[in-house]
Amino acid sequence: MNFELDVDLARPGGFRLQLQARCESHALAVVGPSGAGKSTLLAALAGALRARRGERLSLRLDGRERAGAALHARRVGWVRQDPLLFPHLNVRRNLLFARPEADPAEVIDALALAPLLERAPRHLSGGEQRRVALGRALLADPELLLLDEPFSGLDALGRRRALGLLRELRERFGVPLVLVSHVPEDVVGLCDHALRLEAGRLVDQGDAVAVLRAGETNVDNHFRAQVLDAHTVDYDGVRLHLALPPDARGELRVACSAHDILLARTAPQAVSARNVFATTVAALHSTGGGVLVELARPRLLVTLTHSAVDELQLAPGVELVALLKATALVVLGSASSAVRHADAAPVAAKP
Amino acid sequence: MPHAVQLSLFVAALATLLSLPFAVLVAWWLERRSGRLRGLVQILVLLPLVLPPVVTGSLLLQLFAPRGALGGWLASIGLPVAFELTGAVVAAAVVGFPLFVLQLGQAFASIDPRLEEQACSLGLPPWRVFLRVSLPLAWPGLLAGATLAFARGLGEFGATIVLAGHVRGVTDTLPLAVHAALQTPGGEREVLVLCAWAVALAVLAALGFRALLARHRKRLEWGA
Repeated sequence: MNFELDVDLARPGGFRLQLQARCESHALAVVGPSGAGKSTLLAALAGALRARRGERLSLRLDGRERAGAALHARRVGWVRQDPLLFPHLNVRRNLLFARPEADPAEVIDALALAPLLERAPRHLSGGEQRRVALGRALLADPELLLLDEPFSGLDALGRRRALGLLRELRERFGVPLVLVSHVPEDVVGLCDHALRLEAGRLVDQGDAVAVLRAGETNVDNHFRAQVLDAHTVDYDGVRLHLALPPDARGELRVACSAHDILLARTAPQAVSARNVFATTVAALHSTGGGVLVELARPRLLVTLTHSAVDELQLAPGVELVALLKATALVVLGSASSAVRHADAAPVAAKP
Repeated sequence: MPHAVQLSLFVAALATLLSLPFAVLVAWWLERRSGRLRGLVQILVLLPLVLPPVVTGSLLLQLFAPRGALGGWLASIGLPVAFELTGAVVAAAVVGFPLFVLQLGQAFASIDPRLEEQACSLGLPPWRVFLRVSLPLAWPGLLAGATLAFARGLGEFGATIVLAGHVRGVTDTLPLAVHAALQTPGGEREVLVLCAWAVALAVLAALGFRALLARHRKRLEWGA
């Protein structure tokens, strides 16, 4: 879907959302910190906000201006943070609210709603309510799905399942979607384009992966490493020193912050860092406050300032030495149990 | 069943039924509006609640008397109000109306407006959202309002005696009959019978209200 947005809306409390954006996207992510204006943008797309005197609102979707259309004529599936199920109707009637004649079989199947159909909304868990709200929106036959923080309140496992589910829905029903999230990692795999908002302004946009990674102030490297001995693991062919739990063996999940990695053109002498290894630059992403460097081997992300990048004359293919303190590496747990279980679990299973 | 009781039931039921659509519309309108006009309408609606019923009746008589602003016209289409049973219905409807609107207004106010917004964004025009979301959710308030208006109609005396007068066999509703019996020597027994009926009706109305409310709660609990 082609988006041409021109928004200048004042909200109660002095907040003002001002942005102009053009993009082509089948799954558009809107990211940014709390209070950036993400939900306001979504509400405007849904049709719940109108431009008053001195404001501007133009929403061209595939070339058609939608800002003037009435809320009920928008054909958007607006799924808010709060599922807002109709409390006087059971799940089946909620699903068929918009189009009683619709055949809900496929949506019920995709969202695993069959066991819930006759239940009242008040007796559903938060995750179940969200799935019903999503199903209700899909069954209204929307031209565009608007999802506001679909992962909030879910634990890691729940997020994984929800993400898998959304991916499946995108493929199965082919509805373009706009997804708001303040946890950008959640949407890396789902969205193709991203807008980053901060304090009501558009600060970055482009390919989802680049935007999502670039704006992160706290980028973490997550990887799986093989235990070699009591103090070292192997990751991507590089031997890393770190503090290991006494019973560590097999495969481990390890993390470190992209801020904790130093880069040098030549190997320094007599250095305290326990991990010093040769590597090459794979890619550079410019961010608001600095540069995100992707290393080729081992695959790691490093955040640097612009001046550091200039001084080191970094560019893709440049050979470097990376330094990483053993204490900066954190063992998250064994790679078996929890994660394997999540991978094997059916995507739409009850949370 | 004494004739006065039948008459009162008929008058109160008809008054409640007739005022229902207006009460729903006015309560809805008041709940979703702001501004000066809203304040004015609200005061007008609440007037019969605070005015002495006899004053309300006198004002209604001005309006509905054969030569009044509305009375003449109504009489010309065969619907005289003053000193007729219609007068008793009008009086009961007017004094019960504020109670009806207040209850309904509270019910509408307690509905999350985002639910209505959500229903609208699912493709339903506002009037269908009203019928399928707002009204069903305001159901307990509607029941409570109707019960109160009905009960108020049953007991209506002051405005009725002014507007409808006490025409034996035509407008002598339960309270008027009690009043007349009190003034009749040897009417004590009739007073007692009518009072017993009044108490029975009040209890029945309360029980009916509770039963309907319980049904609504069950519906919310189990989904429908």
